[in-house]
Amino acid sequence: MAVFMQSLISGILIGGVYALIGIGLTLIFGVMRVINFGHGDILMVGMYLTYLLFTYLGIDPFVSVLITFPLMFLFGGFLQKVFINRVLNAAAQNQILLTIGLGLIMSNTVMLIFTSDYKILSTSYSSATIQVGGGVSVSTPLLISFLITAGITAALYWFLLKTDTGQAIRATAQDREAAQLMGINVKRMSILAFGLGSALAGTAGALIAPTYYIFPQVGAVFTLKAFVITVLGGMGSVVGATLGGILIGITESMSAVYISSGWKDVVVFVLFLLVLLFRPSGLMGKSRT
Amino acid sequence: MPKTLLKAVSGAVVLGALLALPRYVESPYALHMMILLFLSVSQGQSWNILGGYAGQHSVGHAAYFGVGAYTTMMLMHTWQIAPWFGVWFGMALVVVVALAIGSICFRLRGPYFVLASIAVAEILRLSAINLTTLTNGAEGILATDLPAFRIGGRVVTEFLTKVPFYYIGLVLALLTLAITYWVQHSKLGYFLQAIREDQDAAHSLGISISRYKNIALVISAVLTSLAGSFYGIYVGFVDPPTVLGLDVSVQIMLICIIGGMGTLWGPVLGALVLVPLSEALRSNLITEALVQVGLVSAESRVGLFLKENLAHAHVLLYGILVVLVILFMPEGLMGFVRKLASRRKREA
Repeated sequence: MAVFMQSLISGILIGGVYALIGIGLTLIFGVMRVINFGHGDILMVGMYLTYLLFTYLGIDPFVSVLITFPLMFLFGGFLQKVFINRVLNAAAQNQILLTIGLGLIMSNTVMLIFTSDYKILSTSYSSATIQVGGGVSVSTPLLISFLITAGITAALYWFLLKTDTGQAIRATAQDREAAQLMGINVKRMSILAFGLGSALAGTAGALIAPTYYIFPQVGAVFTLKAFVITVLGGMGSVVGATLGGILIGITESMSAVYISSGWKDVVVFVLFLLVLLFRPSGLMGKSRT
Repeated sequence: MPKTLLKAVSGAVVLGALLALPRYVESPYALHMMILLFLSVSQGQSWNILGGYAGQHSVGHAAYFGVGAYTTMMLMHTWQIAPWFGVWFGMALVVVVALAIGSICFRLRGPYFVLASIAVAEILRLSAINLTTLTNGAEGILATDLPAFRIGGRVVTEFLTKVPFYYIGLVLALLTLAITYWVQHSKLGYFLQAIREDQDAAHSLGISISRYKNIALVISAVLTSLAGSFYGIYVGFVDPPTVLGLDVSVQIMLICIIGGMGTLWGPVLGALVLVPLSEALRSNLITEALVQVGLVSAESRVGLFLKENLAHAHVLLYGILVVLVILFMPEGLMGFVRKLASRRKREA
């Protein structure tokens, strides 16, 4: 029972970070109908940013979120304005290829600068744990990152539900043309959405930096996970991505314990294919015509 | 018809030159480049049949490439089965894999199809890492001892030089080219293009969507697996990232997209651009050229840095090329060439 609780709790904690990645991807998809294949690479840029801030300025990775979030927002806005914006009306495969290309440029530029060596960001609390009782312990960095994630997600929900800009973003996601007719600056919303999506991915990168290996190709894994999460929750649904993230976190940690850590990603992908087959609109998505 | 005659003559000249090349060029490096070129042409052309003509943009072709490469290598390594027999097992297995993938992925459209194709390739890559008894896991399979190829007791080749590989590669490239030509000019090709342009319209005209998509997939997958088997025996080594990785899928796709999807010569053009460029980066030719011209001093920090790292980042070039092609010539190089040609015609 202790093992079960242990893996359930660590699954939920890591799932919180996954949710952040998924929400970013789903926001971008919702507003622009573009699937961002460079999402994991944006996360990777966030990881390296955190690494730099820690190594050269001594800023704690969890504090550096305050710097990473706005910087990655600007980075995402830049990507949208310069590249993605030009293919909004192009064929779907061209949008996909463009984001793949941008991802390749990001990962290989980072590789050129930092080489492909694995970097480790070790803080004083990287391997610390907190005893919860009943033989269950929780990794301190995971717990902190989960709390920060929960805070950011709550703030994001408030932003999307309560503010005018947030509602404009949701309106654009619901119906781009109608939103435009209502006087919403759709182009600005797109830049905002891509910026926000990138900021969330970058923040997720910052949050996992203390517990993960940092290397230029780390993004690919997270791009795939982000897809699984958003499809599971329903493309474009923020609530779905939140649930999907937690669900994938739990699935991973359970299959690592009860099957084997080598097969845990296979379990996730098989789950993904099953969802695609039997419920392509996802858990929270509306069925599409 | 002087134009057809011109085409036939130039085709015969190019073919003759390619056939005669190993007689006059002895440099193993030059032959190696040509073999890579043939491999790229056949990869790009195989993808073209499914992605270019049928419009199903698979980002998981590493699955077929890897299954072909792994099957041939495993049979040769573990059971000493010669690759020219092993290849058939590879192709048979790929047909099974392709039909399984088709039955899952073809129910899905657009982005969902792309995502599913990636997921399947990833499942295969992770399986190759984890099934250590079968695939030797992350270490990969090293098998360089090719048996001599005999026909009726007479030794045709012992694979001591690159020349036999050159001819196998050439045959492979010509085969994929011929099959693409056939697809383009057959009823199948018209069905596929109809599906690509408007799936619902094609369906309402009575074209069985799933049947023709699956046919295109099987042809494409079998040819890709042949290319994979060839890669395996040529290099003598396969491991999960080099034959089953996501990078492989992207590279296969890029050859076709940079050249021009849905055209006969697009993948050839794409390979002609990509192979020399990425080899130049990989072998540090570009850094050396910069040093030669005097732009960068060999001992300066920049020069040393480029020498050290540029070779590892040849994929960066793929990224930049894709972005440029998508933004400025979404129809690929072939589309660009055609646009130029029609403009010239109009001006004349």
